[in-house]
Amino acid sequence: MSTEPYTRRGFLQAAGGGLGGLALTAMLSEDSLARSHHSPQAKRVIQIFCPGGMSQVDTYDYKPKLERRNGSPFDPDGNLQFFASKPGNCRSSHWKFRQHGQSGLWMSDLFPRLATCIDDMAFIYSMQSKTALHGPACFMMNTGFTLPGFPSMGSWVTYGLGSEADDLPAFVVLPDPRGLPPGGIINWGAGFLPAEHQATTLHTTNPRQPIADLFPPSDFPGVSPATDKAGLEFLRKLNRLHQENRSVNSELDARIKAYEMAARLQLSAPEVTDLSQESQATKKLYELDHPEIGSFGRQCLLARRLAQRGVRFVQVYCGAENTTAKKIRPNWDSHEDLNRDHGYWGSVLDTGASALLIDLKQQGMLDDTLVICTTEFGRQPAAQGDGGKGRDHNAGAFTAWLAGGGIKGGVGYGATDELGFKAVEHPTYCYDLHATALHLLGIDHTRLTFYHNGIERRLTDVHGDVIGELLA
Amino acid sequence: MTTLGLQRTFRVLYWANVWLMTVGCSLVVADEPVEFKNQIAPIFEQHCIRCHSPDHRKGDVSLATLDDLKSNDYVVAGNPDASYLIELVTSQVGEPPAMPKKAPPLSAGEVDLLRRWIRQGTPWPPDVVVKEKAKADSSWWAYQPLNVVRLSESTSPQSPGSESLASTIDNFIRANLAEHQLKPSPPADRQTLIRRLSFDLHGLPPTPEAVDAFVSDPDPQAYEKLVDRMLESPHYGERFARHWLDIAHYADTHGFERDQRRDNAWRYRDYVIRSFNEDKPYDRFLQEQIAGDVLWPDNEVAVIATGFLAAGPWDFVGQVETKSPELRRSARSLDLDDMATQVMTATLAMTVNCARCHDHKLDPISQQEYYQLQAVFAGVKRGDRVVSDAAFRQYEEQKQSLVARRNSLDLEKGRLEGKGLDLADIVGGGNGLGTGTYRHAIDPRDAKVQTQNFGNLDNVVTNRFAQSPFEFVDGVVIPDGEDGKTEIPVSSTGVTIRGLPKTSGNAWDMIRNGPVASQHSPELDGIDFTKDGHSLLGLHANAGITFDLAALRRALELPPNEAGSPVQRTSESAGNRGELSDLEVPDTGGSESAATPLRFTAQLGYFGAVGNYFADAWVFVDGHKVAEYRKLSRADGLQKIDLELPASGRFLTLVSTDGGNGYSMDQIGFGDPQVKLAVQRELAEEARHRLAEIEAQRAGIDKEHEQLGSPPRFYGIVREESIADVQLLTRGDPESPSGEPLAPAALSSLAMLDPDLGTLETDEGERRAALARWTTHPDNPLVRRVIVNRLWLWHFGSGLVDTPSDFGYGGGRPSHPELLDWLADELAKRNWSLKAMHRLIVTSETYKQTSYDGPLSPSEQNNRDVQGSPSYVHANNIDADNRLLWRQNPRRIEAEAIRDSVLFVSGKLNLQRGGPGFEDFSYQEAYAPIYTYITADEPTLWRRSIYRYIVRTTPDQFLTTLDCPDPANLTPKRLTTTTPLQSLSLYNNDFMLRQSRYFAERLRAEAGDDVEAQVRRGFALSFGRQPTAEEVRLATDFVEQHGLFSLCRSLFSSNEFVYVD
Repeated sequence: MSTEPYTRRGFLQAAGGGLGGLALTAMLSEDSLARSHHSPQAKRVIQIFCPGGMSQVDTYDYKPKLERRNGSPFDPDGNLQFFASKPGNCRSSHWKFRQHGQSGLWMSDLFPRLATCIDDMAFIYSMQSKTALHGPACFMMNTGFTLPGFPSMGSWVTYGLGSEADDLPAFVVLPDPRGLPPGGIINWGAGFLPAEHQATTLHTTNPRQPIADLFPPSDFPGVSPATDKAGLEFLRKLNRLHQENRSVNSELDARIKAYEMAARLQLSAPEVTDLSQESQATKKLYELDHPEIGSFGRQCLLARRLAQRGVRFVQVYCGAENTTAKKIRPNWDSHEDLNRDHGYWGSVLDTGASALLIDLKQQGMLDDTLVICTTEFGRQPAAQGDGGKGRDHNAGAFTAWLAGGGIKGGVGYGATDELGFKAVEHPTYCYDLHATALHLLGIDHTRLTFYHNGIERRLTDVHGDVIGELLA
Repeated sequence: MTTLGLQRTFRVLYWANVWLMTVGCSLVVADEPVEFKNQIAPIFEQHCIRCHSPDHRKGDVSLATLDDLKSNDYVVAGNPDASYLIELVTSQVGEPPAMPKKAPPLSAGEVDLLRRWIRQGTPWPPDVVVKEKAKADSSWWAYQPLNVVRLSESTSPQSPGSESLASTIDNFIRANLAEHQLKPSPPADRQTLIRRLSFDLHGLPPTPEAVDAFVSDPDPQAYEKLVDRMLESPHYGERFARHWLDIAHYADTHGFERDQRRDNAWRYRDYVIRSFNEDKPYDRFLQEQIAGDVLWPDNEVAVIATGFLAAGPWDFVGQVETKSPELRRSARSLDLDDMATQVMTATLAMTVNCARCHDHKLDPISQQEYYQLQAVFAGVKRGDRVVSDAAFRQYEEQKQSLVARRNSLDLEKGRLEGKGLDLADIVGGGNGLGTGTYRHAIDPRDAKVQTQNFGNLDNVVTNRFAQSPFEFVDGVVIPDGEDGKTEIPVSSTGVTIRGLPKTSGNAWDMIRNGPVASQHSPELDGIDFTKDGHSLLGLHANAGITFDLAALRRALELPPNEAGSPVQRTSESAGNRGELSDLEVPDTGGSESAATPLRFTAQLGYFGAVGNYFADAWVFVDGHKVAEYRKLSRADGLQKIDLELPASGRFLTLVSTDGGNGYSMDQIGFGDPQVKLAVQRELAEEARHRLAEIEAQRAGIDKEHEQLGSPPRFYGIVREESIADVQLLTRGDPESPSGEPLAPAALSSLAMLDPDLGTLETDEGERRAALARWTTHPDNPLVRRVIVNRLWLWHFGSGLVDTPSDFGYGGGRPSHPELLDWLADELAKRNWSLKAMHRLIVTSETYKQTSYDGPLSPSEQNNRDVQGSPSYVHANNIDADNRLLWRQNPRRIEAEAIRDSVLFVSGKLNLQRGGPGFEDFSYQEAYAPIYTYITADEPTLWRRSIYRYIVRTTPDQFLTTLDCPDPANLTPKRLTTTTPLQSLSLYNNDFMLRQSRYFAERLRAEAGDDVEAQVRRGFALSFGRQPTAEEVRLATDFVEQHGLFSLCRSLFSSNEFVYVD
């Protein structure tokens, strides 16, 4: 039985070749496993996802022509059929647009705080999706494909780069406490990649058990920290005896090691979710105590703390599953009353996202942390509903923005037509966004591949160009 | 383009020089006409088209047709010197040619051909389109007929027993090993073999008793007999169905955004289990799954088999909900892709989906062929379907007869007991005693029965009474009081009510047995009216319903012979009504002798959300208002209603109105609404006797009902009304169809088969039947290669081809091609029996080898460089991946096998087979239903994992962590990872802890209080072996300090528990 002090490098060599070797990369960092193709600008990503379909014409994409045509027929010939309705009249932005910062880029009054960060942000005004259905469009934005079953961007990134942290997972998702986004948890699944690349969900509302099964259920009879520890020690001995006869099976060794790493995670995960050491100013910045927008502020602050501790990819959801309930919708899907729903979610996003950018900057992390804010598709410049208070889905145009991590601030890329109906200048699918994000992380998106059922699969399928205009 | 342009001006200066170099050799054949198709097109195909195609257009030029070449002077007909193309492909000033960029330059002969072709005026026949050639063509190994080689050992005369044939496998393997100077490993001991076999064939560990019996069995045929027994066990089908369902990406919900339930999907899952257990010939197995409903329409089993085609995900929002035809076309196109892809990868390991946007880049599958395959399925869609009309009729008849018998018994019982009738149940089509269907409803517009959810109702006509066919319901109305004087009809006899306020005149959803559609909550004042025997009559404003009191009274009254004397008035407070304001008290008539007074009780409430929402509720008897609740809101809580209804009363009317602020949220509900006799009577002796009789009969009917099971429906495919045309979609885009509609066809790369599957006129069913015949044709070598390779994978952890669903150019090459073909040949010889093939494989010496080297000597252990015995190190150096099979592969068991083994060892595994899946989650209906997992801690949830109700959007996190794949994907091979999250799941998960506790209880029960005996039993159950002396010492110490439960917990987490040697 080997009682030699364990070295990670030796272990990795022993485990190399088989899947057991790959398996731990998502949790290891001391050895440089990063398979960068070129020198990275960003070490990590925080992605904010706003499910439901955020309206571009009420937020970032200023359309004076739409203002002028307010109330006039959008589709006089009646040829168009949107996801759920025929188009109503043109409807100007529900919020006034203003220019901000040195760059003079436009932003609507829905985001007063975010507007102060505008010179750090780069906008892609010409985003498009291949579908106007929430589920498939969420899949597309997250995985590059409208079908379920493909790996999410976070999974690809950890597959490519492993983790910076040795005691936290490489890919962490913070779902909205109100529920899962359209399409459910496979939005951050590993698809056909090995399961260790799936995201670990961090439950922001459960401080005792932020990760599923991190600890035994409280008050389980016969379970105590002492028996936990003794049981693991006994288990280690049992496993070492078992391994004696099977010296060549490196997976066995990896599995013994996994229990030791699990013990480390039991220390690090509660530490990262404990916000008590954050200053009052920080807590105020994220509005943690606000009854409505505090929960998203908490998610954003946790994202910063995770990134600070080396988590490679953090995804934060600003919105949950779609529903037809006649109250404020649990995400951005504003068919009946955009003022109500975007009004609510706008203030949520405005506070959390602006706090995140400001905080990252203060912490000196913005330079090597790429922040991405996306939705799955946009909304129509025409009104929907009897009172014309809502907007229907629009796969033809939406806006995404990026900041930090090698991004040039205060720039816009691409454009929609004069009403904001369709992207006309540099129409951009998620492929280019993904390619650009991977590029900033030091990965050539055409070379990050995994064989599955006949195809060397990529996050960007057979598409994708790095958007040079956005790079610092 | 920019770069090339700059280079051009520079290089053109050197042109003359190059011309001199190339012209020399071209003079000889200068006059011979160049033939484009055979001489020029191949050059473009080989060197250019990969980057310069309509799909790629690098440098904005495509060589698919002449257009781009001509438009930018890449070629100038008749003038090679002025043609930029020539410059690009020839060397300039000693630099290599600019093109091809990432490949060797063209040969001088090829360049010369291009020049001649240009000089001759660039002839390009219009029908020739240059396409990228696939890497493989129809000469690819997988598409060739079987090449059955007999090794010398097996050609010698032998008895035809399976043993000798199994040795054929060994001969192939050993011949290959010998070529690499390798030897097979020694056979594993029986203890190892039975555990290996048990996990392989059953997905469960062996019992200690089975291990002992096998280890001590003196019969030399003991192993073969064990294999036979295991193949006969129903656990075999449960095990292999899991493998097949991975390939079919089966689940019990639709997936996508609105991940709705597929409650009848399980019949296909049971079909697969049953087919394996019955050893259905594999060709027939496939035929049934592709076209069983066409080939054997009267065979219910074969019909259910088509659940295969529908097993994958389906997008309700994209195919049904959206109003956008473009989005529907897109979803449908992906739906057909899913069917075609699944069938072809499962049966033939051909990755046809790669040809959706363009010709397959690796394999000889054209884009047109891909769409011709889609055309096979163009006439079907997914949906629930009855197994057979006859079966369904029979089921319905049996059920109706049972229900009728039960209802009449219940009615009689209720009457005898003086039990009230539940008005919500009546709204759900019931008799008031529980026979109604939850959430069934009456349409307030026309009194029709409705089973679906509705939202805002169209075509509302207010104040129009609609009569109901139900015995106890007179009818319904959507009220609008307008000026307060309007007479609103509320009965079929012309009774009206007045005094209602003006309403919006709108109505939402139905009058329901249960909450209305999108109801905020079924809960009020802490009572959930959908649970614990409560009921709820959902009456969203604006709506009214009138019950027929005379009919209710008839049902409630006892026949005279059964009635005793009145004992008590059930109404505690007749003055209850006094709490209500401004009532018109109807004339009770005082005719108690002629008819019986009744009582109406309920808990009325506003079930909408808190906020500025409120509505009104009203109760009328024969048009007279007897109760009125204005501006009722959630904050008001429940209103207790207890009203005595006069003996003369004929109609009871319940009404909700919207309070004048719109009908939003106005979810008025009557909780536990009951009409009963006002006066209870004592039962006569005879009646009490009869009650006991009824109870007995009722129990018998319940049992019959349970045995009847769920309706004979399954989730499979149903025919479309017509077959939509399938055209080739340019770049896979449903908005860019091109060319003529395509007839169904299979793939031409299997040259021994005729790919023709019919014409445009061919019937839907015949298309699939033709595909089934083509796939399983005796001459099709691929279908058999693919399945025997899968069997090999399932017994060795890796296939002879290590990409089991890709036998194309992108996949792996067979490690033992001759063995693969020999096995494929044997399959046909053995009547396509999979069990026969299992037997062949697992009785081979190759299968029975050890998977590891055995203990190292102490000195070897001290030397950290030693990785095993010399022979082992030698083999490992030559073939670390064990592709040559010089040993068996140790394997970690899959997520489902881990869960099943835990239950098996704890003694809690529930062996109930078949039927609807168990649901270890709570289900909440919503736009997108919510599935919340619970700890499986009751026997119904302790069934084998194959019977799990699988939810696509919300997979079971415990199993996912243990590498259970996403059922969105066709999974040919499980991946194994090792992560700290797995450690945490196995060690801390509530299910694991509870099972550890059951395991400890079992050990105490079976081994008594002696710790060593407990330890011995624990090891035997967990690992199929006795502990060593050292293990006994360690474990007994541990149990004495930390208890038996902690031992069990550690055993479940141990490497040995989840690894098979």
